[in-house]
Amino acid sequence: MADLSLRQLDKKYGSFHAVKGLDLHVEDGEFVALVGPSGCGKSTTLRMIAGLEEISSGDILIGDRVVNDLAPRQRNISMVFQSYALYPHMTVRENMGFTLKIAGRPEAEIETAVADAARALEIEPLLDRRPAQLSGGQRQRVAMGRAIVRNPDVFLFDEPLSNLDAKLRGQMRTEIKRLHARLGSTVVYVTHDQIEAMTLADRIVIMRDGLIEQAGSPDEVFNRPATRFVAGFIGSPPMNMAEGVIQDGLIRFGDGETLPLPAQFRDAVTAGQRVTLGLRPDDIYPVGHGLHAGEAVETRPLEVALTEPLGNETLLFVRFGGVEWTSRMLNPRDLRRGETVDFQIDLSRVHLFDGESGRSLRTA
Amino acid sequence: MMDANQSSRIRKRLTRWALNVALFIAMAIICLPGLWIVLNSLRPTVEIMAKPPVWIPRELNFDAYVAMFSGVGAGGIPVLDYFRNSIIIATTSTVIALAVGMAGGYAFARYRFRGKSGWFIGLMLTRTVPGIALSLPLFFLYARLGIIDTHFGLILAYVAMNVPFTIWLIDGFFRQVPKDLSEAAQIDGCTRWQAFWRVEFPLARPGIASAGIFAFLTAWNEFALASQLTRSTNSKTLPVGLLDYTAEFTIDWRGMCALAVVMIVPALLLTYAVQKHLVSGLTSGAIKG
Amino acid sequence: MKPWRLPPHLLLLLPAVLILAAIVVIPLGLSLWSSFTPFRLTRPDTMYDFIGLRNYARLLGDAQFWSAFGRTVLLLTVALNLEMVLGLGLALLIERASRGQRILRTIMMFPMMFSPVLVGFQFKFMFNDNVGLVNNALQSLGLTDRAIPWLIDQNLAFISIMVAEIWSSTAVFAIFILAGLMAMPRDPLEAARVDGCTPWQTFRYVTWPFLMPFAFIAMTIRSLDVARAYDIIKIMTDGGPARRTEVLWTLISRTAYSDARMGMANAMAYIAILLSIAFTLIFFRQLSKARSQIAAEW
Repeated sequence: MADLSLRQLDKKYGSFHAVKGLDLHVEDGEFVALVGPSGCGKSTTLRMIAGLEEISSGDILIGDRVVNDLAPRQRNISMVFQSYALYPHMTVRENMGFTLKIAGRPEAEIETAVADAARALEIEPLLDRRPAQLSGGQRQRVAMGRAIVRNPDVFLFDEPLSNLDAKLRGQMRTEIKRLHARLGSTVVYVTHDQIEAMTLADRIVIMRDGLIEQAGSPDEVFNRPATRFVAGFIGSPPMNMAEGVIQDGLIRFGDGETLPLPAQFRDAVTAGQRVTLGLRPDDIYPVGHGLHAGEAVETRPLEVALTEPLGNETLLFVRFGGVEWTSRMLNPRDLRRGETVDFQIDLSRVHLFDGESGRSLRTA
Repeated sequence: MMDANQSSRIRKRLTRWALNVALFIAMAIICLPGLWIVLNSLRPTVEIMAKPPVWIPRELNFDAYVAMFSGVGAGGIPVLDYFRNSIIIATTSTVIALAVGMAGGYAFARYRFRGKSGWFIGLMLTRTVPGIALSLPLFFLYARLGIIDTHFGLILAYVAMNVPFTIWLIDGFFRQVPKDLSEAAQIDGCTRWQAFWRVEFPLARPGIASAGIFAFLTAWNEFALASQLTRSTNSKTLPVGLLDYTAEFTIDWRGMCALAVVMIVPALLLTYAVQKHLVSGLTSGAIKG
Repeated sequence: MKPWRLPPHLLLLLPAVLILAAIVVIPLGLSLWSSFTPFRLTRPDTMYDFIGLRNYARLLGDAQFWSAFGRTVLLLTVALNLEMVLGLGLALLIERASRGQRILRTIMMFPMMFSPVLVGFQFKFMFNDNVGLVNNALQSLGLTDRAIPWLIDQNLAFISIMVAEIWSSTAVFAIFILAGLMAMPRDPLEAARVDGCTPWQTFRYVTWPFLMPFAFIAMTIRSLDVARAYDIIKIMTDGGPARRTEVLWTLISRTAYSDARMGMANAMAYIAILLSIAFTLIFFRQLSKARSQIAAEW
């Protein structure tokens, strides 16, 4: 195991600047998830760490070794690919033992390593099959087994679960988490799925246009998003956003509606400033159906435009401040389209972002 | 530690260079013979024969081509007749081979029947008969039927020669056209024939075109059969005509080079036109058989 | 009762079957018959003089025939294998070129479009001891001061023919292997690199197993018309010097047309045909195995 450092990592494809001076340190044994929309540079970054993509400038260190120009085979890493990338003409056993065979290890050692990994992943009965005879979930396990056998300094995952159906994805997520807990390995995990990132990672790195928007623990990026982009990207259903202007201690929205300026932002804004207000669906709810006991609550009667019952909760859609808001009603009661209900808005949990830069206006 | 990176960077760059050089040399070897022919068709015989060799041509002209096409020109070789024969024979045999091959290819692509692979291999094996071996009985047969030295005889032979491979290629192209399409067309009110003609045929057309070009080139370039089944300007084709430039002990290199260029230019143009389909057709036909 | 009609697939295959029967199968029957006769073109009545296997028996003891036979097999084995190796190299080089792939591919295919006769003349010209490009170049570079008798020395002549043959047909292999390379999934290659493979190991363990079926396909297609080599040899040396480059096909042609011994020539032709068919069948079998392997695994 080893730690991993990226220093001012840069990647240009002709005139396209894919990764712009990335700085990131991954501790030994840490699980870091790179998330972002497609084209944000997360996969390119991973591939540069693997050595599959040349770097334009900057440094990559594994342990205290600079590996900028080394071939992938010299980096002692493992990678799990989105398509699993199993060798179709080899059995599962051969697939998993391949890396050791290449390294010229003795038969017995290979056998033990493969058997151990197979046991850990519960794929022992599959060892003599070929990849074509396996289901998606089984292939996924074999791909992970192959990565484990190498006993690498760093594990790299490139959207490993995106080819699986929803149910299997949930199962494999748990599996990966358990595996990481057991092996204590250094992991860089690329995904576009924020739920995967939240559930798996010690630290989430949200990327956009080749830059890091925010890096922090799941709790941090969820509760203290540094930018409007992060706030919108993390959390499901996504955070409600409304544009407004600061006026007389109020936030005035496009349609003239207002909300009082929450206390925590009073010193951070100036009159006339354009802002974006963000509020999670958990923090706007019909009276008595909230998640938190509201601290600074504002109550508004709003008309329910649409309902989406999910059993243990119901999502409500209402119009307020010129945009549509999603509200999460816990312990749902029967509500109809068109009914007007009193909604509580928890001002203490409001996020405010600068209208121009999109950066959070939170001071503390 | 920097050393490992540096040496690996240098090695990468060196390999890239070496491979580019190798590619360049390979391409040069492929192109050189052709260029050599073109060059020599343009320079006077004295210069071709010069000792020590003349590397940078002092004089280039089209005399050889002018002589060739001015009727019975240099050395009395009727190139125009050969050219006409070649065009007629290659075109006609290609059209017929395509028609026959399309029917056969469609049968293999769309119908299941007993002994299908046996039929297929049987058809292909007829192609493996060496031209020279086939020429023996054909020569005898044609002589009996009185069709030696006719366009008809050669066309017939080339159709037979091209049909197996044409079937193979066209079979591959029809397989790529989803069966659903023709079924949908039939549900929409087409007869099976209309469904073929209006839906499947247009979709397979690029592939059929390249099968046609392949057949054309085979007929255009064929020598073993043509050299035995033709006698005179009635039916001699260009490849056979090329031999006219060789006398007992001397060869008119310049005239021959010019004729070679005349032969190869149409072939190259056609190849370039279907290059893309040709590769995909050959491979898809062959792999998904 | 419905009137019996030809099933559609047979109807569709009929033209092909008819024409092949008329131009290939029946004539071959004829030549099989005449291989059992002392048939001479000059004396048509000898056609009906059945002599059983005497022609074949004579061939068995004919040293000239067997050396031509051996030379043919040698030429095919060496040429096909070299073509495969060179075609593989060429395809790999072109595949990794970042720019101008299309033009490179087109250039690569050019030799395929040259008529074998043309290839023969071209190389006859280039290997000409007096005015040929090869000797001119060697002499100008000062590598040799005498004219190397490329087409006159027996071993050099065989090598020269081989060069011409390889030049004209390597493209077939390159095309198929290139198609294979382009169809190949990227990920296993990258996985192999990450797993610790050197470029050679990646090729050996991942690329080649995938490409092998494509190489077999090319082999099969090539084996369909190996006899194209006849045209090249006919032009370059016509079996000479002193029959040192004689292969089956030139021997057949000489026996039939120069010596007019059709019966004997047909007997030889039959052996040549069986040789071709054997080659092709072997590759067809490999091909279908390879195909099902690709379909099942990749």
